[in-house]
Amino acid sequence: MDGNLEISLDKLPVKRLDAIEENGLERYPPESSYDEKRVSLIRRIDFAWAVEDDEERERKKKQKKSSKDAGATWQWQSMVENLQLAHQELSVIIDLINTVEANDAVTVAGMTRPKALPNEVLSDLAVSAATKLQCYRHLGKYFKQSAKALEQQIAREARFYGALIRLQQNWKVKRQRVAAPASSNDGFTIDLFDNSLYDSTAMSRPSFLSTIRVEHHSAGMLAINLPPNSCRFIHFGFVGVHSADTPKESSKIRTHGSVEHPTRDMEKESMNDDECVKETHSLLREVHQSIFDDQVFEMVNREAFNQSVGVNVTGIRENYLQLSIGQGTSLFISLVPSMGDDQSVDTVNAQNLEPAIVPLNSFDDIKLGEGKHDTPKNKWGFPNRISCEIYLQQIVHEHAFVKAKDRPNLSGTRVSGQSGKDGCGLLGHFCLSLAHRIFSNRVLMELENVVCRVPYLHLMTHPTWHSRTSSWTIFMKVPQSILHVESQSPKSDFQNVKDAIKSQFRTKVVVNDDRINVEGEGAPNVVGLFKRSSEDICSVNKYDCDLADLPVIILQQVASQVIRWLHEEALMVGIKTNRDFLCLTFELEQGDTVSLVAHVDPEDIQGCISWWLVMEDGFAEDWKLQMDMYDGASEYRKFLGHLSLDVLYTTLMDLVSLCGGGGNH
Amino acid sequence: MNKGTGVGTGPTAAAAAAAAQKQKTMMQRVETDIASIVDNFTQLVNVARVNDPPVRNSQEAFMMEMRAGRMVQAADSLLKLVSELKQTAIFSGFASLNDHVEQRTVEFNQQAEKTDRMLARIGEEAAASLKELESHYYSSAQRTADTA
Repeated sequence: MDGNLEISLDKLPVKRLDAIEENGLERYPPESSYDEKRVSLIRRIDFAWAVEDDEERERKKKQKKSSKDAGATWQWQSMVENLQLAHQELSVIIDLINTVEANDAVTVAGMTRPKALPNEVLSDLAVSAATKLQCYRHLGKYFKQSAKALEQQIAREARFYGALIRLQQNWKVKRQRVAAPASSNDGFTIDLFDNSLYDSTAMSRPSFLSTIRVEHHSAGMLAINLPPNSCRFIHFGFVGVHSADTPKESSKIRTHGSVEHPTRDMEKESMNDDECVKETHSLLREVHQSIFDDQVFEMVNREAFNQSVGVNVTGIRENYLQLSIGQGTSLFISLVPSMGDDQSVDTVNAQNLEPAIVPLNSFDDIKLGEGKHDTPKNKWGFPNRISCEIYLQQIVHEHAFVKAKDRPNLSGTRVSGQSGKDGCGLLGHFCLSLAHRIFSNRVLMELENVVCRVPYLHLMTHPTWHSRTSSWTIFMKVPQSILHVESQSPKSDFQNVKDAIKSQFRTKVVVNDDRINVEGEGAPNVVGLFKRSSEDICSVNKYDCDLADLPVIILQQVASQVIRWLHEEALMVGIKTNRDFLCLTFELEQGDTVSLVAHVDPEDIQGCISWWLVMEDGFAEDWKLQMDMYDGASEYRKFLGHLSLDVLYTTLMDLVSLCGGGGNH
Repeated sequence: MNKGTGVGTGPTAAAAAAAAQKQKTMMQRVETDIASIVDNFTQLVNVARVNDPPVRNSQEAFMMEMRAGRMVQAADSLLKLVSELKQTAIFSGFASLNDHVEQRTVEFNQQAEKTDRMLARIGEEAAASLKELESHYYSSAQRTADTA
């Protein structure tokens, strides 16, 4: 402050007249309020001296600075000053904002945004545009991803439905409305239950395999998952006969969808869709067959305890049934899973079965023991195990399934056989057929033994196309040499025709179930004795016999046919002979007779029919006494041996000449 | 989606009514979905303009994401509809299914008959061969030598 002090004096606070108007009205200056008086007082203070001082100080400072920095100018100086100024302004603004925020007695009158510079505007625009572009690019990626995912889904669905359509062409596909649509299983099932059964009330128990779920596997393709060993198949066999073939080589070994599931998934991914569908078809077919085999076994079980003819249950276990069909033969029917390991277990169990058999019929057990001694022989006579299996399945199928619909004349085939019309049921028919087959094999063996040892016999088989009937014919043929001889002799054509008919004799053997019926020509019949002409029907014998007696019966029949033939040959040359069953008697002079006698012995290896020449004189009693003599070298009996028909014929001619020579005497 | 048999009285009338209703619903769904896709896409294109205040751009960015999501959802719904139609076509085309089944039945019957005939023929040939072989064997030199 300077030394001079200035003093100003206010005017006295007296109202002074401002103006008077013409009408005498006086105007006074308006009264100022207290605040205005204070403000005016403040204004009267002259701060010029302070302002001038400040300006001087600033000038001096600048001069000092410029004198200081004259040598080295710092390039960032202006920026530092600008930043400091900006910092001051910012601090003022911040204080102002804080004050406003604290609601102090300062109110904001108005705000104006500073006008943006053009480069700022453009840079803002560029940033916004770039952001938007980024946003769109992001959207683009999102859309592409979604499109790819949707395409993949479509492809998966196309594969799945394509395969399902192909499956639907052969199988019944059902759709279920699943409540949870997000699950991988769309609710498709394949129904394998066949409701077109003949006896639906009896076979109406659906197997747990009847409905199969169709699922997706990892690649989206359809897959069918089955628990392992869920498929079981019929296994047939004869007890005591261990077949060399593996029981499941005929079919049904493959199981898909079993334990090794994850690896099969990997394989399926690399497989073609076609192969996948084919494999699924095969799997479904296996299951279908398994269901059918279940039904077959159920039917077998049901009928086994219905006391049908020819069926005797001798052992029962879980999924196993053993039946005795007579003649010391037993068979078993079981259900086995298709895995190989279980198969070997099953055969072991079969071998161990004998102690586990419930001895319902001890006699059958004894027969079983007897049968075992002849195992090699019986084994030969047993039909093929697999063909029996197929036969059983075919019987059940034809009876149970096909009868329900109109069969298009399938019953006219030979394979169908009879369907239990004689009251024995399907299983009874099956067992009787097998028993017949085994029995007829034995019969054939006996017949072949006989025919082998007698050279002039021919055996001919006649297929009957009936499962319980077999038929053979044994021909005895006159040798051609004899026929030629006869044809050379002057005979009438009538005689030749007669001879032609008589060049062979037949013996027919028919086996029905286990009854043997032999029918043959040759033995004298009462009816035939009264017939004049021999081109009429020859006397025919028909009788039943046992297997043990069959060779003897056959040989006797054949021998009688030979005797008959010789008798007719003798008649043809005009010699009267007497014919007995196995004996041809020529009459000599003085009542003597010479007989040609046949002797049959099935055990004779050199030949089953041997011939004796027996002579007797007129005294029948002596002849009878001589019959008691067993001396083969008696003059009344001579053993001729096993003669062929040629030799017999010449023997006959010799005897004829003997008779004729005697007659001429 | 028609049943192929036409509208009738009785049980098929209810089924036909249900089918018509279902068809209507599906058409509606289709329209909704396609409208949603079109609408959302239009909106997406419309907000391509860059605005001055950046806050609006951010707002629009969120909206764009939402609309894109909606579009994809509508597309997915359409695809589900298509697959539903496919399923119905597969499992409700009874006329074609029945025809096919009958055709297969005829084929299999023919095959069965053919197999039966073949078996019969095999049997006959086997019988003939057996007869021939037997007669040859029994008239063969080996056997006739025994007669001498």
